[in-house]
Amino acid sequence: MTYLGEIALWIALPVAIWGMVLAYAGGRKGRGDLVLSGERSVYALTFLLLLASLGVIDAFLSDRFEYWYVANYSNRNLDTFFKVAGLWAGQRGSLLFWALLLAFFSSIAVWTNRKKNREFMPYVTGTLLAISSFFLIVLLFAEVNPFERLEFTPADGRGLNPQLQNYWMTIHPPTLYLGFTAFTVPFAFALSALLSGRLDSRWIVVTRRWTLMSWFFLSNGILFGMRWAYEELGWGGYWFWDPVENASLLPWLTATAFLHSIQIQENRGMLKVWNMGLVILTFLMTIFATFLTRSGLIESVHSFAQNKTISFIFLGFMGFVLAVGVILVLWRLPGLKSENQIESFLSRESAFLFNNLILLGAAFAVMWGTLFPLITEGLTGEKISVGPPFFNRVNVPIGLVLLALAGIGPVIAWRKASKRNLRKNFALPGSVGAGVAVGFLILGVRDWMAVATFAIGAFVLTIIAREFWKGTKARARIQGEGLGPALINLVGRNRRRWGGYIVHAAIVVIFMAFAGSAFNQTVRQTANPGDTIRIASPFGHAYTLRYEGISTTQRVGNTVWQAVALLSVSREGEALGGYTTEKRQYQAIDMVATEVGIHSTFFEDLYMILADVPDLGGAISNDPGSQRVTFEILIKPLVSWIWYGGLLLTVGTLIALWPPPPRRMSGAEVASGGRRLEKTAAPG
Amino acid sequence: MSGELPLLLAGGLLAAAVVLFILHPLVKGLEAPLEVDDDDPGKAELEHRRRVALGALRDAEYDFATGKLDETDYRRLRGELARDALALLEEEGAAEVPSGDGVGETEEAPGEIDSLEAEIARIRSGLREGTTCRACAHVNPAGSRFCGRCGAPLARADRAEVGAGEVEEG
Repeated sequence: MTYLGEIALWIALPVAIWGMVLAYAGGRKGRGDLVLSGERSVYALTFLLLLASLGVIDAFLSDRFEYWYVANYSNRNLDTFFKVAGLWAGQRGSLLFWALLLAFFSSIAVWTNRKKNREFMPYVTGTLLAISSFFLIVLLFAEVNPFERLEFTPADGRGLNPQLQNYWMTIHPPTLYLGFTAFTVPFAFALSALLSGRLDSRWIVVTRRWTLMSWFFLSNGILFGMRWAYEELGWGGYWFWDPVENASLLPWLTATAFLHSIQIQENRGMLKVWNMGLVILTFLMTIFATFLTRSGLIESVHSFAQNKTISFIFLGFMGFVLAVGVILVLWRLPGLKSENQIESFLSRESAFLFNNLILLGAAFAVMWGTLFPLITEGLTGEKISVGPPFFNRVNVPIGLVLLALAGIGPVIAWRKASKRNLRKNFALPGSVGAGVAVGFLILGVRDWMAVATFAIGAFVLTIIAREFWKGTKARARIQGEGLGPALINLVGRNRRRWGGYIVHAAIVVIFMAFAGSAFNQTVRQTANPGDTIRIASPFGHAYTLRYEGISTTQRVGNTVWQAVALLSVSREGEALGGYTTEKRQYQAIDMVATEVGIHSTFFEDLYMILADVPDLGGAISNDPGSQRVTFEILIKPLVSWIWYGGLLLTVGTLIALWPPPPRRMSGAEVASGGRRLEKTAAPG
Repeated sequence: MSGELPLLLAGGLLAAAVVLFILHPLVKGLEAPLEVDDDDPGKAELEHRRRVALGALRDAEYDFATGKLDETDYRRLRGELARDALALLEEEGAAEVPSGDGVGETEEAPGEIDSLEAEIARIRSGLREGTTCRACAHVNPAGSRFCGRCGAPLARADRAEVGAGEVEEG
């Protein structure tokens, strides 16, 4: 199977190049047979890459350590689950996995459009296959072939980094890759629009769902990564502005901008060049993110490999895509003229535009901070990293403006908002926001970022709640429905709008969770068995943790030793049970890892870290006199709102994505001329 | 090494199957359709813009119904939107009831689309008969002399010239 997979990978490259050439040529010459052959190449490519991926998985499952990739990312006693996930555990496999996902999405795009949007499809097929060809060239010629053999067969592999042996870490990369590769489809349609000259908003309408789906995967991929960092890295944080985290954030920021600006093009025929620019930029960011993650160019907790060839190939490809994009846009510039102009600064159009500028500003700041160490190294020979303070100082104010826009955008009038309109829509939410701010100040909160986040969050949530309430009420009145059915029909009849509002609410919830970190509490204390540690929550109550003792084991599973500290936790006298936190030394890597204990509630997490074991040797040999340890106990308010916000975001996006039921066109309805405008215009 | 022969054979077969699959259309002359399915991109775009224009009118209705727009703002916005929508509806080259190609990609529920299309048909027939108000796009009962919504006179005589002027604009 592995051997067959290797052959499949070699056949895949000529198939992709063949298909690309024929699809482009077929589009240019209007030859349907060439295009069909190109489209079949997409299906064939998917099949071949599936075989290749199964080949890698088979090598993992059957412990074929003669393969460099398997020897470096697996060993005999690795769980089967992680052996399968070995496909994307390291650079080599994940590049193949990337190519497989891209081929899979390409097949879906070609199949679903086999009877419609045909004017786009030759160039879409060609572009998708060109990108696949690029990844195949990398896989086969940049010293990253997952099927590369060692000259000898080791008795066992080096094993998978234990920190990656975590559920969230297993689903985090594939989810991000789904987001990255799904965005390739809108990009291919945009290029096709430029190549074929069909520059109206059709390409946007056709790819709207793809864009939203990509955004959905990107958002969840980022959240899964945060969850992993929170559970596994053992310092209580979920985001460290690490270069690879930033790399996944960049396409998210530009894709969010794109998702909003296409609505302006659809509704007002504006921002056509801008949208082309954004779709090209976002695609470049997805490639850039893959490149950063998988080239080890910048030091990061994720860095894996140092391979110069792959860097040059990736940079060359990005330069090529950028050049092609710019040339095509310049060539088609006359056809991309705006049909309208922004009439007023106070309008929904300008709110959208402002949202775009802010998102791009954030993307630029993140990019600059990420690349800064490289730039300084190039200029001065010294690598200077910018830390979280830089990113927070720049991005928190940007984030707050963005948050406010999440409330302003949905209710400000199109074209031109009058003063009356602003008063009518913003008086109540503004007052609620101001009230929240005053409340926090009275309570003695002086962290302005937290106060601003909660105030603006309250402002946005009031707006969204009122939208839902007014819409439901109006629909119930006009259609004579009960409030429940009215709400369901309201959302059902314009899923995109109401799904979007739910996503906005989710973003507010997630931002509030971030702001909750302003109220973090930390206690660091050294304790002997029987000692208690007390920590007060900002919500008024206190936790008492009794250190019961430490127990150690040696050579269990994949560890050299494990030292597990037990804490009995109670809250205001009410026992919550025992929690453990531990230090462990894995066989695979020379590093002591920390496992934390987390007591999670809706409003706060109690996060327990075994920070230090002063007499480690004594503790490991179970010396009763060596039980003295240091704990770091954290209270992290609202942290679980990030995950709840993620769920809400998922619900909102799924509502927006959900396909409408099959269309029923009743002849009688058309003949009768439809219902009255007032009736059909019922909210929804 | 002899153990690799079957694998080599399997690889060869795989390559042959792939080549056959992708060359088949060229040998047999099979073709993928290339024609634009909505036969005229310009027409499809016009259809799209009609839908968007009507959708914007509905949004205005909705904003008024839920109190987001007050009477004055609503009238002004509706006037502007109606003018744009009527200009688009009067452009030639559209079927009475749009073909609905690509409806799968629109976000509205089917009821929404059907009624939107019916709405477009109704307003267009109103334009021909002179019952569609040019100020607010309201369709009045046959024989009306004034618009039942905004009170503007329904002047049939100026239909041609207003229409012509607005076609340019749209």
